[in-house]
Amino acid sequence: MSAMAISPTAMPLLEVDKVTVRFGGVLAIDDVSFTVERGDLLGLIGPNGAGKTTMLRAITGVVQPERGSVRLSGRPLDGMSIERRIRLGMALSQQLVKPFRDITVADNVALAAGYRKTLSPLRALLSLSRSEELRVAGELLERVGIARHGEDNPAVMPLGVLKRLEVARALALQPLLLLLDEPLAGLNSQEAESLATTISDINAQGVTIVLIEHNLGEVLRICKRLVVLDNGRKIAEGEPKSVMHLETVRAAYLGNGAGDERHNRQPRGGDDA
Amino acid sequence: MNYEISLMTTMAISVLFALSLNLITGFCGQISLGHAAFLGVGAYLAAMLAKAGVPFLATLPLAMLLAGAVGTVVGLTSLRVRADFLAITTMGVGFLFVGIVRQREWLGGELGIAGITGSNMSKLGFMLFTVLCAILVMALCVYLRRSWMGRVFNGIAEDEDTMRVLGINVPRYKLAAFAIGTALAGLTGALYAYHFQYIGPDSFGFVESITVLSMVVVGGIGSVVGVTVAAALLSALPAWFQFIGDYKLLVYGSLLFLMIRFVPDGMAGLVRRHLFKRRAEGGSK
Amino acid sequence: MLLVELFTQGLVQGSIYALIALGLTLVYGLLRILHVAHAAFFTLGAYVGILVCNASGSLILGFAAAMAIAGCAGVITYRLAYQPLLDKPPFVALIASIGLYIASEEAFRVFFGAQGISFVDPPLQQQLLLFGTIRLKMAELLVMIGSLAIIFVLSRLQNGTRLGLACQATVSDPQMAESFGISLRLVRDLNFFVGSALAAFAGVWVALLNNLVEPTMGSVPSYKALAIIVLGGLGSVRGTLAAALVLGVVEAYGTIYLGKLLDRNAIAFAFLILVLMVRPQGLFSRR
Repeated sequence: MSAMAISPTAMPLLEVDKVTVRFGGVLAIDDVSFTVERGDLLGLIGPNGAGKTTMLRAITGVVQPERGSVRLSGRPLDGMSIERRIRLGMALSQQLVKPFRDITVADNVALAAGYRKTLSPLRALLSLSRSEELRVAGELLERVGIARHGEDNPAVMPLGVLKRLEVARALALQPLLLLLDEPLAGLNSQEAESLATTISDINAQGVTIVLIEHNLGEVLRICKRLVVLDNGRKIAEGEPKSVMHLETVRAAYLGNGAGDERHNRQPRGGDDA
Repeated sequence: MNYEISLMTTMAISVLFALSLNLITGFCGQISLGHAAFLGVGAYLAAMLAKAGVPFLATLPLAMLLAGAVGTVVGLTSLRVRADFLAITTMGVGFLFVGIVRQREWLGGELGIAGITGSNMSKLGFMLFTVLCAILVMALCVYLRRSWMGRVFNGIAEDEDTMRVLGINVPRYKLAAFAIGTALAGLTGALYAYHFQYIGPDSFGFVESITVLSMVVVGGIGSVVGVTVAAALLSALPAWFQFIGDYKLLVYGSLLFLMIRFVPDGMAGLVRRHLFKRRAEGGSK
Repeated sequence: MLLVELFTQGLVQGSIYALIALGLTLVYGLLRILHVAHAAFFTLGAYVGILVCNASGSLILGFAAAMAIAGCAGVITYRLAYQPLLDKPPFVALIASIGLYIASEEAFRVFFGAQGISFVDPPLQQQLLLFGTIRLKMAELLVMIGSLAIIFVLSRLQNGTRLGLACQATVSDPQMAESFGISLRLVRDLNFFVGSALAAFAGVWVALLNNLVEPTMGSVPSYKALAIIVLGGLGSVRGTLAAALVLGVVEAYGTIYLGKLLDRNAIAFAFLILVLMVRPQGLFSRR
């Protein structure tokens, strides 16, 4: 359970160990390893088609790696469904926002906050009260800066609010590890900057975060560490400023000939999970 | 008076049946085009047990248990296929049930089972008992809707992939919906058998499945009150207007089509919008 | 020789299923609607065919009238019933379609009577003996040849003509297709016309084979055709043809060998459920 006390070992929170993912004949992730320590804010970046989203899906269990292993607090997750992984302490904020549209913004967050009550159908059937979850929802909406929209219907909210709702809903699961899939995409620069600051604050309050993001400016501003993927391989890892100075990273982003050709072969797995 | 009592019983049975489907299709969003099969499972079991001399009150939970068990197995299909495919699969289950029963001599085959007695209640007593069951099930539905289970069902109906991302074990909840809904259909089936005292394979065919679905749709998918009212009205309609008895299916079919074509959210939606409009007008004064 | 005879009977039945299911596949492929009311055009075609043939003495005229009238009725149905529901969740259109079908079945009963009608002088009833062993009615042979030919022509048209390609384009990306000057309206109308005309074509053949047209003749084929397009992997013409033939044959054998256990419809659906549990994407889908 995510509420479980953090084990005192020096074990990393998330270990991605030699993960290889293949779609049909195409290598989408090629032998990638990295670890995420507790308290980290790791940016997972790379040009289009580098395999970031696929990597994230291998972590959440939407795609099964051909080889390699993913561990959370030392526990192998291989073969587990996404909901089991979430129950073990992950939370995902999806790239395409998917609020439930027939309940209010606050209800959306409360639904996630009730994760203890919804563990099994029987327990859910016997639980009625929701005051505690609504209180948590109120706090979280405050934390991501959309408290004034709590009673609004998500169907009529602008993208900026929905992106924050998506983050608040993930936080409601009280995760050890928060995975953010392009939370800034589609926001204008002002909104992006403010949400990035919020993300940085959440991290400062003790939530470990893996951030996939195209907005390099904000990534460099808030991330503590970067992992750079290109063509499904890890090409660099480390402290943001030094990583961005590496020749390989610059080349990947500028896209020289050989690299480009391989990008095009990368499958574009649909955007929805 | 006898006629009114019998009609009332029929209405209560329809309400029970429609609420049981509403739980699966309305609450949890899993479409079923073969729900009459579970009515049949309950009815056939109750009829066989009644013939064997098992007391009335003991047959009801047994009918629920068997229908719920079969329903859970059928619910397993909803874990493999979704939406349109699930509709076709459950429709197949309905045809399968009728096909199996038709060929079983010990279930009465084509002729069905007649002379089912044993409730040991007066007509009035049975009617009151059935109405009481309907009220209890209504209360259960209202409670369920407001419980955490109802909230999860609601989420699954709208977007089950996102519910997974929220850590919900969607398969378990779907099976729970099928188990509860089909068990209630089994209970309804048992009452059906005692009330009509005759059952046959055609009492539980595709037409019955569609009839109950039309009650749910006309009432407003997911709305407890709407579905109750629609089921009561639609089941009494042929009796009140003798002349449509012959054209029952024509009326049903047209009503189903017109309702979903022009008011996809049913009577409940119609009322809600009307109230909302009145309130908005009142507020602006 | 029972095995061969059953196989042939299965193919005949399968060809009819294929003709009905093809229209459904066209509609599903284009609009993602499970068009149960499709079978109403099958029944309508059979009535028109038999009435026109009896009045004029010409079977060809019967076929032509059946296909033309059912085709137009199909387009009207699309415009009135489905077009306004396209942006609703898929089961809305499905339920509307079921309602429409039930009502239409009853309407046939009211108009044409419950007991059904027959050909005054049923054509194509000669018995043939193929390869010295297979006994077939002329009509049975022709329906097999006819349906295969039509499906062949159709898949050719789909891949070889501008209009066919336009149809495919509207499926993969309606907005894009429209911006290239393809009229969505025309393509959809055309699909409903062709699909419904094919159903009517099948209806006249069934009328010939049974020498009987009843209001309820569409109900079983309608649900079975749904099973077939699901088996065929929704939206694929060739998959539908294969699934229809397989189902026809499975039913033919099943009725003989499993007849004590299940009736004919139950066999078809037991097969469907079995396949879907093993391959949720359908028997012939490439996914």
